[in-house]
Amino acid sequence: MRVIVSDIMKTKEVNRGLKVSLCIILFLLSILIMQLGEGSFRRTRSNLTIGVFSGSYWDVQNGNTYRILDDAIEKFEKKYPNINVTYETGIIKSDYTEWLNEKIMSGSMPDVVFILGSDFSSLAEIGALKNLAALSGSDRNFTKEDYFSSAWESGKYAGKQYALPFECAPQLMFVNKTILNREKIALPDADWTWDEFYSICKKVAHSSEEGNNQYGVTGYDWTCAFNADGVDFFSNGSEKVDFTVPPITDSLNLLEKLNELNDGYQVSGADFSDGNVAFQPMPFSQYRAYKSQELRIKKYSGFEWSCLTMPAGPDGDNVSELDTLCIGMSSSTNMEKEAWNFMKLLSADPEIQREILLYSDGLPVMRNVTLSDEAQELIEGDHESSLNMEMLEQAIDHSVVTPRFRGYSGAKEQVDLAVRSILDGVSNIETEQILWNREINNYLQTIN
Amino acid sequence: MWTAGSDVGSPDNQILKRMPDFLLRVLLVLNFLIIITMAGFMARSIIGTVHAGEATAFLEAAGRMPVEAGKIPMVVMVLYLTLMVLTTVICNNHWELLAKSVGECIIVAIISIMLGMGYTGAMFLVIADVIRYKIDWKERALYIVSVSMFYIILNSQMVLKLLNIIPVDVYWTYYSVHFQEGLTAGFSTMKLVNIFIFIFYVVIIALAQMSEADRIYSLNLKLQAANEQLEKYAKESAHNAEIQERNRLAREIHDTIGHSLTGIVTGIEASIMLMDVSPDAAKQQMKAIEEVARAGITDVRQSVRALRPDILENNDLENAVMKMIDDMRKSTGVTIIYENSVRIEGMSEDEEDTIYRIFQESITNSIRHGKASRIECYMRKEENFLHITISDNGIGCKDVKQGFGLHHMQERLNLLQGELKYSGTEGFTVDVKIPIRWGKEKWDD
Repeated sequence: MRVIVSDIMKTKEVNRGLKVSLCIILFLLSILIMQLGEGSFRRTRSNLTIGVFSGSYWDVQNGNTYRILDDAIEKFEKKYPNINVTYETGIIKSDYTEWLNEKIMSGSMPDVVFILGSDFSSLAEIGALKNLAALSGSDRNFTKEDYFSSAWESGKYAGKQYALPFECAPQLMFVNKTILNREKIALPDADWTWDEFYSICKKVAHSSEEGNNQYGVTGYDWTCAFNADGVDFFSNGSEKVDFTVPPITDSLNLLEKLNELNDGYQVSGADFSDGNVAFQPMPFSQYRAYKSQELRIKKYSGFEWSCLTMPAGPDGDNVSELDTLCIGMSSSTNMEKEAWNFMKLLSADPEIQREILLYSDGLPVMRNVTLSDEAQELIEGDHESSLNMEMLEQAIDHSVVTPRFRGYSGAKEQVDLAVRSILDGVSNIETEQILWNREINNYLQTIN
Repeated sequence: MWTAGSDVGSPDNQILKRMPDFLLRVLLVLNFLIIITMAGFMARSIIGTVHAGEATAFLEAAGRMPVEAGKIPMVVMVLYLTLMVLTTVICNNHWELLAKSVGECIIVAIISIMLGMGYTGAMFLVIADVIRYKIDWKERALYIVSVSMFYIILNSQMVLKLLNIIPVDVYWTYYSVHFQEGLTAGFSTMKLVNIFIFIFYVVIIALAQMSEADRIYSLNLKLQAANEQLEKYAKESAHNAEIQERNRLAREIHDTIGHSLTGIVTGIEASIMLMDVSPDAAKQQMKAIEEVARAGITDVRQSVRALRPDILENNDLENAVMKMIDDMRKSTGVTIIYENSVRIEGMSEDEEDTIYRIFQESITNSIRHGKASRIECYMRKEENFLHITISDNGIGCKDVKQGFGLHHMQERLNLLQGELKYSGTEGFTVDVKIPIRWGKEKWDD
């Protein structure tokens, strides 16, 4: 009897053990399913996929779509013959964000993706991009010192490196030299200030009898002014900001003064291309595009023009914004090493970077490539040299990266609203600043 | 009390007892339905969002990448299966129950996270599983409070934010407003049904346990009655033993003294008749009577001895032996050495009697027949035997005849499968081996 009882107990024990092991196995199975990427089943380990849009990042069609990428792929496949690099063609830039997000949601994000400046923070935020710190840190053939520092910074989100820069373009002040010559004003130096800027604007702004009005500047907004006067707004993401600091007061004063010169007329970019405005801030890619042989007759053809650094505010420097096209890696890639090598080839290979000078309108992010003698020739083409390379270097070195955090566009709209209402209003700027400081911070709290 | 199931009771109780298990099964099925439906709709939403070209809007609202559409139902299903198996595991102690509950909580938490915190009601399953155990209410309350706290934390907005989980509502935005309403209404109804069944389950468990308490009370009453009966039996049995003992004494007296006295009376009658005829024959006859009388005395002594010694009634064996030896020393002045390396506990009365008798008989023999001045007694354990040696420095006995004492010893030892050896060549030595059969002997080796 005793034996039978203990046998039953033993079976119970065994059953229990079995059940517990079954639980553990099932639990591990669920983790395994979670961990399995789509690639684990479908993709072979020799096919590296790239996410890229057709056309130029700089919104200037130049017929060289995919040219640089194809060359890079050729070079890469020569070096790693067993890896096949593929990409989907025909996704235009305006559809690219949605296309990429759809890929992400269906779990088939390409291993390496080109990242539009406006998409970068949301891609990093949702965790679609891999943190590259470990890869770049362990790669001895890679050093971030090869890059322009702000180009490198533009791959950062919340202090972590999520992308490598591919090509960049600083914001520059386009100058209508014909107007300046007509008014007998000398072209300012690369370290010019707000005072010079304002006095030139004031000098050129007048209406002529033929109804051909002439204006000082268009497109110079608060971001330009804040950058120039050393206000690092939103540098801490969506944390509290101080809208009442003196440099902001100065900026608002300048904008107000510039506005007053126009007698209530809204000066537009069209006025500049018609040759009626002395200054307009524009990305350097515009300069390259319209200086080129093919496009030079299309725009800005009625006058002599060049570009300058942005003017410095009293508390700041000749700082401009840098727009960068970046490349990132999918956080779920199973070809990490291959993807990194390909990204490195695109971003840090002098030969490929040099092709940006040939086939794109941006600038290479590698310092040595952009500042080479060959680069100057390639940028200038066959016409007279009006570009000061030192100025360009200074512009890039002093550039800042557009703030990157989720909700930036909304926050920017709030400041837009504040600046517009302050400039349009009649009350004291400092009082308005205090009122809007509260408004802006209230908004920031809602997106936090 | 560590059982999850229950044993038999009255038919009324049977239903009450099967009910919780049945309700638990209903809860398991219902939760499965809720979870799998929700996972299905979420997966459908992801696929649909991609097809509708609304991925950007979705990701903006979500703030993070969703899990791949196909994985949600698959992982949730496997995890739920794990939970179901885990609920059938029976725990034997607190640690096991604690480990099991923690495991269940973790699984439910992962399922809830996978479902964008859209459904956390599976936590009721964990509570339901815990309170099946008949642990006392204090501990049970502790479990319920801990799991409930976990449930509340899981339901708080904090978790959504802290773990950066996409709320289930974001998935629902894919569906038309009309459908969304239906969806949320459907799920809240199912959640309510889940809670309702859970409450019903708790009530039934409480009821079942109350009826269990009733049953225990009635069993207690029965037990008390049985105890009283037993006490009565015990008294009767003592009385019976008394009568038996009286009968035995009567028989003993009849067999010994009665026998001798009869012999003596008959002999004396014969002597009276012979006295005048032949005084010599009468004298011889008287001698024979004397012998009979002496034999009678021996018999009486034997009988008295055969009764259990009083000393053993009141003392344990060790003390009894020591007291007996001490008395012997005092009354005879003989040196008696006694050494015992065995702690004797848990022996039967027979064994104790026998050992005591062996010591008593052997020492008496040594003094009376051997005229010894020094006696050594040893008791020790050898393998599975109790070994007793009693030796003296007396005159010994070249040709030992088994007298009544040794014979008696032999008989008693036979009953215990023991062994008796003796030798009278150098003094007198008695050697006894008794197999040890008593339970948990404790040895002071």
